[in-house]
Amino acid sequence: MRLRGKTMLRIRELTKTYGSSIQALKGISLDVPPGVFGLLGPNGAGKTTLMKILATLLEPDAGTVEINGIDLVSRKDKVRRLLGYLPQDFGLYPTLTAEQMLNYFAKLKGVTDKRERRALIDALFERVNLSSARKQRLGGFSGGMRQRLGIAQALIGQPQLIIVDEPTAGLDPEERIRFHNLLAETAGEDAVVILSTHIVADVSSLCSQMAVIRKGAILASTTPQQAIEQLKDSVWEATVPREQVGALKSRYQVISSQMLGGLARLRVISKGVRPSEEFTPATAVLEDYYFDLVNQRERAS
Amino acid sequence: MRNPPRTQFFAVFQNEVLLNSKRIAPYMLMLFSVFNAVLWSAGLGATYYGQEVITKYGRLWASNSDYYITHNFGGFALGIFGLPIFAALIMAEPVRRDFRLEIDSLIFSKPVSRAHYLLGKFFGSFFVLVCCQASFAATLILLQVFPTSQIVVLPFRLLPYFKHFIMIVVITYFLFAAVYFTVGTLTRSPKIVYGLAIAYYPLIFFYGFFLLSDLPPRWRVILSPLMLREVQIQTWGRSPEWVDRLVVSYTPIMIANRALVILAAAICLTIVYLRFRITEPPAKPENFSWLNLSAGSEVLHFDPPILQPTPGHTASDIRSVRVEEAEAKETAVPSVSNSNTGLRANLAKLAAALGVEFRLLRAERSLVVITPLAVFLPTLELAFYRVVPEGSYSATYATGTAKTLVFFLIGMTVFYVVESMQRDREVRIEPVLWAKPTPNSVLLLSKFLATFLLMLSVIAIAGLTAIAIQLLRGHTPVELYPYLVTYSVLVIPSIVFMAGVSILLNVVLREKYLAYVVIVGVGAGLFYLYSQGYNHWLYNPMLYQLWNYPELTGAGSNQSIILIHRVYCLAASVACLALAHILFQRKSTRGVRMDGHLTDRGWSILLTLVSLTIAITTGWIISSMH
Repeated sequence: MRLRGKTMLRIRELTKTYGSSIQALKGISLDVPPGVFGLLGPNGAGKTTLMKILATLLEPDAGTVEINGIDLVSRKDKVRRLLGYLPQDFGLYPTLTAEQMLNYFAKLKGVTDKRERRALIDALFERVNLSSARKQRLGGFSGGMRQRLGIAQALIGQPQLIIVDEPTAGLDPEERIRFHNLLAETAGEDAVVILSTHIVADVSSLCSQMAVIRKGAILASTTPQQAIEQLKDSVWEATVPREQVGALKSRYQVISSQMLGGLARLRVISKGVRPSEEFTPATAVLEDYYFDLVNQRERAS
Repeated sequence: MRNPPRTQFFAVFQNEVLLNSKRIAPYMLMLFSVFNAVLWSAGLGATYYGQEVITKYGRLWASNSDYYITHNFGGFALGIFGLPIFAALIMAEPVRRDFRLEIDSLIFSKPVSRAHYLLGKFFGSFFVLVCCQASFAATLILLQVFPTSQIVVLPFRLLPYFKHFIMIVVITYFLFAAVYFTVGTLTRSPKIVYGLAIAYYPLIFFYGFFLLSDLPPRWRVILSPLMLREVQIQTWGRSPEWVDRLVVSYTPIMIANRALVILAAAICLTIVYLRFRITEPPAKPENFSWLNLSAGSEVLHFDPPILQPTPGHTASDIRSVRVEEAEAKETAVPSVSNSNTGLRANLAKLAAALGVEFRLLRAERSLVVITPLAVFLPTLELAFYRVVPEGSYSATYATGTAKTLVFFLIGMTVFYVVESMQRDREVRIEPVLWAKPTPNSVLLLSKFLATFLLMLSVIAIAGLTAIAIQLLRGHTPVELYPYLVTYSVLVIPSIVFMAGVSILLNVVLREKYLAYVVIVGVGAGLFYLYSQGYNHWLYNPMLYQLWNYPELTGAGSNQSIILIHRVYCLAASVACLALAHILFQRKSTRGVRMDGHLTDRGWSILLTLVSLTIAITTGWIISSMH
């Protein structure tokens, strides 16, 4: 699936099977331009497997991945120089201080000049708002602080490919927004930020491009604006008694239903035609696109 | 009264048994117990003592005589071949596991009482421990049915096995298990429990040697955790028929000892009950910060002061001021130069990784145990016995410490290598570290060098202790040369070898306890072979029983073979390290050549071939010289 603009990351026919039966990735192909790229999918869709392959931690069974023309599968050593990775689940040495930890990561990243390293670490601590906690041991860090340090380490050394896997899980709303801003600023002309998430709002607010992944396959690759545009004048909403939900579901293409005070709020897709009197036009959001896409595939399969 | 299987205690007990059934340690303990039972029963005739008995009387004692059953259970309970360490593996974890897996909040939000929870955990694990130990007794019982030609067997017996197993093994380990459980539960640190298990041997020796030995026999029996007898059974000079007829019974004092042991265990469990808290241990107070940290009830918050509108300003003005302040903190991340290729860059990374490994080692509580042991072992070896100079006093002191220390150092090397190799996975930092442009050689060598340097410092402590004892006992002059020669030729290559082998095993097996079990199993097997006289140079990397000081300095005939053997050992270590690099789970490049140069993998294959060639050549020379 090809997106417009310069391609920095090119994935072709990527396949990964665990054991003999669990096919996590089924021949995925993607072209990713610079900017924040959202990879949206439910739990178990294959997002983390793809992220691990991109982070050089997992060997694919077949397929190719190129970042700026470098083959990721055979030249992991080179790719790691361009890489910033924030895993979904990670830990830190609890007995080290935040500064010692970041200093270590910077050295491993090849930042050998002491003065440069100090300036970099100071800036990163400022950036993730951890300056006052830099001398604290990591064992005493809260989940949010640890996550912010994880972001800081991923930004060391001007990475061109930043992979963040489910990064906002466990962050409070304020930190989540701060994190989004940080990612948006980091992704520039020369860097790809791949944001793997199952939170549609994160993709909606942050990503210039996105792909939907489900059961190891890419269902769609587009921009959030285009996705919403596709559903223009097609989304309808109604609040109905719970008993009617079954009947309405069988008659219309329901994309979501939500219980509110004993009543069900339904959102349905109907291209330009009002489904029935109780429905009113609704503004399409990315969540509608996501649920519609998933439902279509469910029906097709 | 409630049906026992429906109580909370039974639910916790049952779950603990289930969890243990999915661990490796209990099965390894069973295998180890079966192996030891076969070895002790069938191998008696092969021992020096057994041979003497056969020579004198024409046959051994019956393997199912009361004497021999209690003799075997006594040795088993004493902890020959590491039973206390296995017990610690099983008893350290039960409560801590719930906190580590973060299911503590799910459990404690249920109406489960503290007593039911703790007793269920303790007895569930203890039941598993006893079942594993029972495989030793069961094997001995079965061996009555399959005697070998050298074994004499009385008619089939069952009851004595039960009686002595409960009296000698179960009750003794009831106390040990309670101690391990108490320490593990209250500290939630398995390392402290493992340290305690390792310290068991010197502690039990100290207790027996310095505290019990001066007491009257009655008190010696009462206060011993391992059941002693008022009068030891002497078999030397007695016919096997006399030994076979001997009925081992328990005196009231011995029974009082068992009661005291059970009482001590009950006291431990009471302490756990009283001191156990479901909350995390209090952390050090955090400094106040201007950060609005993520919500967590245990974290201190400090909200920035609320600005009040001043005359002429509205609330929205204040908000904009705060936004400006927040934006002002968004410092640009400066560009930096990266250096990731070449020897210099890799050495810088190695130095950084080594620095961190040392910082992590410094935080290890186990150092609190091994540092005193490094002083204690040479003291034990040198301070209390008559020293006969072997060339010189310094040579004797150096030889004595080297022979005592080598097994301790090897054990420590294995422990620190395994722990440091698995640490990154355990603290879940592995994906972050592995995504950095660091060669695998840096990741592996940093762990190897950190352990090696730590062991060098332990050797230095032991050497200084030996020198201090030498001075205190007036065995002057102190010469440094014998110490340097002995340690550098005998001890250091052995440590390098063990570190190399341990790293390779960790890379291949990828599982901590499996690595421990394989290393301990192979080590115990080799040690048994050595003790039986099969200590050929080629599979004796420590040169156990194959050297003495004069030979090291050229006075004997074996100096050249010893030196070649050390080259053999070091070459094998390098081969192990290079193989570990090739088989390391983290991959960096494909193939052996890339862009006209050898890749890391290519260099490792080359190094493996060269080191194996050296090892084979030196091995061949040793064989031909031997």
